[in-house]
Amino acid sequence: MTFELFIFYVFSAVTLFSAVGVVTARNPVYAALFLILAFFTSAATWVLLEAEFLGVVLVLVYVGAVMVLFLFVIMMLDINIDTLKEGFTRYMPIGILVAVAVAAEMILVMKSKTFDRPIPEAAPLDSSNTEAIGEILYTEYVYPFEIAAVILVVAIIAAIALTLRRREGVKKQDQGAQIRTRKEDRLRIVKMKTEAKQGER
Amino acid sequence: MLAEYLPVLVFLSVGFAMAILMLLLGSLLSPRRPGEAKDSPFECGFEAFGDARMKFDVRYYLVAILFIIFDLEIAFLFPWAVVLDKIGLFGLIAMGIFLGILIIGFIYEWKKGALEWE
Amino acid sequence: MFMSFTTATLIPMQFAIPDFAPAIPEIFLLAGTCLVLLVDLFLKDSNRYITYLLSQTVLLITAYLVISGINDVSMAEALQTTGKASLTTFSEMFVLDPMSQVLKVSILLITVGVFVYSRPYLKTRQMFKGEYFTLGMFAVLGMMIMVSAKTMLVIYLGLELLSLAMYAMVAFRRNDGRASEAGMKYFVLGAIASGMLLYGMSIIYGVTGSLHLDHIDSFMMGHNVMTNMGLLLGLSFVLVGLGFKLGVVPFHMWVPDVYDGSPTAVTLFLGTAPKIAAFAMMFRLLVEGLDEMLLGWQQILSLLAALSLFIGNVVAIAQTNIKRMLAYSTISHMGFVLLGILAGTEVGYASSMFYIITYSIVAMGAFGIIILLSRDGYEADRLIDLQGLSSRHPWYAFMMMLFLFSMAGVPPTVGFYAKLSVLKAVVGAEVVWLAVFAVVMSVIGAYYYLRAIKLMYFDQPDEFVGDEELLVPAKSGFDFKLLLSVNGLSVLALGILPGALMSLCVLAVEASL
Repeated sequence: MTFELFIFYVFSAVTLFSAVGVVTARNPVYAALFLILAFFTSAATWVLLEAEFLGVVLVLVYVGAVMVLFLFVIMMLDINIDTLKEGFTRYMPIGILVAVAVAAEMILVMKSKTFDRPIPEAAPLDSSNTEAIGEILYTEYVYPFEIAAVILVVAIIAAIALTLRRREGVKKQDQGAQIRTRKEDRLRIVKMKTEAKQGER
Repeated sequence: MLAEYLPVLVFLSVGFAMAILMLLLGSLLSPRRPGEAKDSPFECGFEAFGDARMKFDVRYYLVAILFIIFDLEIAFLFPWAVVLDKIGLFGLIAMGIFLGILIIGFIYEWKKGALEWE
Repeated sequence: MFMSFTTATLIPMQFAIPDFAPAIPEIFLLAGTCLVLLVDLFLKDSNRYITYLLSQTVLLITAYLVISGINDVSMAEALQTTGKASLTTFSEMFVLDPMSQVLKVSILLITVGVFVYSRPYLKTRQMFKGEYFTLGMFAVLGMMIMVSAKTMLVIYLGLELLSLAMYAMVAFRRNDGRASEAGMKYFVLGAIASGMLLYGMSIIYGVTGSLHLDHIDSFMMGHNVMTNMGLLLGLSFVLVGLGFKLGVVPFHMWVPDVYDGSPTAVTLFLGTAPKIAAFAMMFRLLVEGLDEMLLGWQQILSLLAALSLFIGNVVAIAQTNIKRMLAYSTISHMGFVLLGILAGTEVGYASSMFYIITYSIVAMGAFGIIILLSRDGYEADRLIDLQGLSSRHPWYAFMMMLFLFSMAGVPPTVGFYAKLSVLKAVVGAEVVWLAVFAVVMSVIGAYYYLRAIKLMYFDQPDEFVGDEELLVPAKSGFDFKLLLSVNGLSVLALGILPGALMSLCVLAVEASL
């Protein structure tokens, strides 16, 4: 076993451990933290494959942004853990059944050696994965790349259409209006007759 | 290539070991005398009422999801910047269209007031 | 260098600038949708009709661009060089062939009709917002991308674009608990199905080493694919994803709840155009990509089709809500579409294509009638709301009768011919038991369609539904009524003269294979 392989097994073990933790953790916040650990170790596995860019993006996007969203959602929903647990034990047999079926299928596939394809030529030592991605993503794959932009825009519209609410009666400053005010807006000079003293009618 | 990551690995393992060590020392060395009063939860001297967790406003969610979208956009910029001199004008325009589409989304969210915190 | 672009840097590496001409309709639709999105931002609520008119214009121009897309010269060139009547571009990821043209035009025109039908519905319910139209147009863009996709990557991206827009549209009435529930169910189950599809695709990619459907096909030709465990696993996962998106049993659980829960204007959209795109996705993946595994997917599809025909038709009988009834009816119709595909012959594919296009037209009309009968705060979506329709609105009752007859497969409506051609293809492929089963199930299904017709023609509105307002003629615009009439008569016309559309479908399928 080379050192590299050893490191791979260490990270894989942590990934598996934290993945199980995501499912079994009592507290949803802990589950989210376990998921972060799983993302981190997966990123480490990708770095081992010399896919540095993907590893960094995994941390940047998933740990940096998606998990923040997850935590917000967990907080927002105010989940009752006890009711969540009820479902867990109730659906456990089905879950195990599905898991066993998928695992059996995977073992069958692995044993049948269908993925035994000729190993692709190793990239030269000084090549960079990031560059390789860049070279085809913006040329050959320009069509899916632009579709991705459209999907992101649809996500913006969908998120805003579903969650944005106008609030009634919110008091807030409008600095622009404050600066733009003139004397006439604020000051009103009222001409009044001098009041006569009482009794001098 | 991978050898360049050795310092990172060393750093990771030292950090990990340090964290475990601290927790271990803390639990081994600290005095622990639990009592009924110490273990019971309290809120400013009152009996606890209600959960410590409370509902977040849905607006946080909107901000987070808008952040993710532009975070992803930035992720696309890195490999582009690395190979800009190789992919030439075509790559520049491709990214221009990509950003253009997203800017339309940005105008939409700005005008809709999704960036305001009322 | 960066600062000095010469012609050498204009064409970087060995990469040739793609030909944008075949994709002009998509590019136009994207630009048009962005324009509508921006214009809508600056409109007052009272001027919202501008958004509507602009959207319709963009869709119609796109349809025109699709029709005029392939000129004979470029097609003849393509025929000469590749022997196929199709143009590919964007590194062979995008294909323009007669099939994609026919399907795209159908999708676009049906969406135009959907927008016409939904306008009064949205207006009376304070849902007349620009987002309905922009999301709808983005969904159409996703469908067009799916229809023209030649690699699994683009199929998936198109599907996600469509689904994302649809999820938001289903939950559009966000203060309504049922709509939110429908949106949530649709989203969660849809995300799982997308994951399944993606997993299947990744396995197929792992075995064949390509995402491109033609390359997958040519890889499989040289291999014994039916004993390849990896490919079989990949195929079954892809079929699960497809089954969900089509809404066939046993992946149908979302269909009734989503149809019922979402606003009728969205159900109308959901139940028509995306079905055509789902057909295209199935055709591209199974027939163009995994053709060598025909024996594999034929068996699975037979099972799915038989189950869909059974559950769809039998459970629909028990429904009292028209939207739920139509949802189960959709399930059984999707079973018929699967029948045509699993026949595995060109005639089968063509009849399936004919079926899905005509079904979309019929479903659009049926949902149009529901919208016509609804009022603000009152959805005419119960079966008893149809009671005595013939005495209230004889003409619309006649239209509804045409739609229901067509769904039941009664001659001379188009549904009869569509069912007949699919059944002929199935018999031709020597799967006679399935054809017999389908006929029996259609007869069972005819019961609930005829029951609705009986309600309309032979029952009088009882006091329970006979509230005054229902007796007043429907207050919809002229465009709505005209389109509904055209829609109903087209069902009749296509049924009497199905030849033109059918030969178009046959030609399209022949050219694609």
